[in-house]
Amino acid sequence: MFALLEQEGFKRVKSVVVPGFRFRHQSTQDSAEAYGVKAVLFTAEKPAG
Amino acid sequence: MPATPTRSIADEQESLEATLKDEILRMYEDVAEQPDGDFHFYHGREAAERFGYSPELLDRAPEGSVASFAGVGNPHVRSFLEEGMTVLDLGAGAGLDGIIASWDVGPTGSVIGVDLNPAMCRRARANAESTGAQMECREGRMEDLPLEDDSIDVAISNGVINLSFQKRKVLRELYRVLKPGGRISITDIVSAKQLSQSIVNDPKLWAS
Repeated sequence: MFALLEQEGFKRVKSVVVPGFRFRHQSTQDSAEAYGVKAVLFTAEKPAG
Repeated sequence: MPATPTRSIADEQESLEATLKDEILRMYEDVAEQPDGDFHFYHGREAAERFGYSPELLDRAPEGSVASFAGVGNPHVRSFLEEGMTVLDLGAGAGLDGIIASWDVGPTGSVIGVDLNPAMCRRARANAESTGAQMECREGRMEDLPLEDDSIDVAISNGVINLSFQKRKVLRELYRVLKPGGRISITDIVSAKQLSQSIVNDPKLWAS
């Protein structure tokens, strides 16, 4: 997503992992961790021109 | 040439997207209609508090918007909204994030929610009206936003873009509708590894 934002022209792209995100069921959480799944907050700007 | 044409990859993707759309509509309606239901993800007030939404804001918000909350984080912590701004809430759901944004932008600002699901848009409108929030909801796809070019100061979104097969197109649309100097603050699910084909081809898992 970070790279996609930059490729689409966004500037000042920043990301931070969302603390506290996890799946309710342990089996789903285990699968998610195996794939490196996490929640992330992205911020970015459209250039002023 | 074969007697019966084989399905192209594009055809298969189109079919999968249609199935996924149905699954997503069903799943979020389930969350809205069964707030005590057992889902893969945390939802409702429990999820919102987990992501740092203040209890005061949640107490002030319509109960239905809180109970149906299915976000994956808190886009408000970096949205830096100001009075008078025009805000897009991409994937408005039952309206909690849009309603909170409307309190930040005040009566001179406005919030435009966009949601694929007509039923969720009706819920968002009803919840917003019950608080007098300056929020409308437009039915539409995030890959083809029903918004003018250069019309939005800040776009927020919470756990929605990951549901699209066409993420680049979604980001292109966000770029199109933002004013020059406009910003996004979006929380979403990302994966460090390529998901297996069995997950990609399973609408239930994708929608979760």
